Amino acid sequence: MANDDNYPVESDRRRFVKGVVGGAALSGLLTVGAVSVTLTTTPSGGGGGTMDYRGAARELGPAPRGLPQIPIEIDDDGYVQGMWPEPETVEEGGVEFEVSQTEFEVDGETVTYSTEWFQYCGLQTFDGIRPDADQDAYLRYDEAVPTNDYPWMENISPGSQIHVDDFEDYEDWGNDVGDAGIGQPATATWRSQDVPPEQKIPVLLIRSEEIEAMAEEDEWIAQTCPEGFVAFINKCTHFCCVPGYKRLGESANYDAENKIYCNCHQSVYNPFNIIEERFVSLPRPEDD
Amino acid sequence: MSDNDPQTETDGSGPGIVAPDDEVPTWRERKERTTGLSRLTYEYFERARREDQDLRQESSYVERDVLGFPSWPHETVRNLAIGSVFIGMLLFLSATMPPHLGDPANPAETPEIILPDWYLYWSFGLLQLGPINPELTILGGEKIMSDELYGVLANAVVFGAIAVIPFLNKGGARRPVEQPFWSSVGVAGVTFAFTTSALAVDNLLPIDPNITFDLTFLLPLVAGAVSYAVLKTMREGYMYNLNQRYYRLRPPR
Repeated sequence: MANDDNYPVESDRRRFVKGVVGGAALSGLLTVGAVSVTLTTTPSGGGGGTMDYRGAARELGPAPRGLPQIPIEIDDDGYVQGMWPEPETVEEGGVEFEVSQTEFEVDGETVTYSTEWFQYCGLQTFDGIRPDADQDAYLRYDEAVPTNDYPWMENISPGSQIHVDDFEDYEDWGNDVGDAGIGQPATATWRSQDVPPEQKIPVLLIRSEEIEAMAEEDEWIAQTCPEGFVAFINKCTHFCCVPGYKRLGESANYDAENKIYCNCHQSVYNPFNIIEERFVSLPRPEDD
Repeated sequence: MSDNDPQTETDGSGPGIVAPDDEVPTWRERKERTTGLSRLTYEYFERARREDQDLRQESSYVERDVLGFPSWPHETVRNLAIGSVFIGMLLFLSATMPPHLGDPANPAETPEIILPDWYLYWSFGLLQLGPINPELTILGGEKIMSDELYGVLANAVVFGAIAVIPFLNKGGARRPVEQPFWSSVGVAGVTFAFTTSALAVDNLLPIDPNITFDLTFLLPLVAGAVSYAVLKTMREGYMYNLNQRYYRLRPPR
């Protein structure tokens, strides 16, 4: 070969130098990569982790788990609010963070309700999901009321607080999807005043005789669903779409005309079958 | 009898067909000898050719053995022209179309009809094969893999089949009757592409989703069987075995 002498002869010394230089370059690259990832990403705050929650059982479709339930409280004036316990500061693994949690006695066992149940699908980044956010716990109607699907909401003023008296004919309300008398639904927002639309926490509220009947059997329902009201975070656990209750006629194809149906990938949740499940809650981003 | 006086021989051979020798005029000489308009035309073209040749020889341009045009000005002018056409189309569309595509996506709402891109329907349909994910008895009725993984592997199977088929069939046939089996395999595959696409949007079809699911696998089989039968019958009609050589004729390369 004519150009053989372009390259130095391979030797032990040269191999050694090559190894040292290569190793140094590689470790330098890894260090730079790690540092740039640390610098360009926001460290997560505390919170999150594995937790047991209660929600509407998944019946069909690709959703991995049920829709988390919001315990309901009704104040003395009859306004409906989701339970938001007083925030407290806990320390875990050297990180201090706020949690809103409370405990229920259910059949002699302790069930911990934490607002970290709702930290999934990007909700954990919403302003209103921070325990100490400057928001009250009242449920409010949407700014755009879905009167096409729920004609009873025609007289509702958008954005107003939800009152028990609005749901007077829940025992026989019905629309053109599914059967009448199953339950009267409303879409609502929660802890989402004065935030941009993409930060509003969507909630599905149903008042139903079936829930009232379940409350007589089930201590958990009895404590979290007063006067037949049950509420869920309206975010599909599959890919974070907003499902609907009695909203789309196509849900009848999946036996979901009286259930919660997500039209993205046909997941079905049964709002009248509240079960306990486990999931990994995501940490909230660190406060600025 | 002179050479200019043709005469038909009794054995049928024509006159004057002889191998060219030094006496035989070339085509150029024949052209030069003509008169009238053809002579004028010849001189005109010959002069144009000659001038062109002189110009080439005088110029510093070096002729190379390259098939192509110089980038300046030929290619540049051509590219500018083509580019102008497309920029003009863009400007026209942006001037006539509505200025925006609507509100930005709001994660707090889901539109009533929400679909993947149409050209990916088939792949999304393959993700819905959960009902035929087998439950193994030795695992106590458990599925060996999740429905999601099963759907993703189904995509791999489809891609694998498309990759393998050229090795099984070299594509020697020029018309479906030559290879009825492989033609019907193709028909079944195309039908399967459409039925899986339909499966992806089964919630919007006015058919029960279970029926759509069954049809997804039945229709390709039916289409394949029907096309096989039709092609075999057409072979009979063509008397294919008799005329095989004709049907297998290939045009010259």
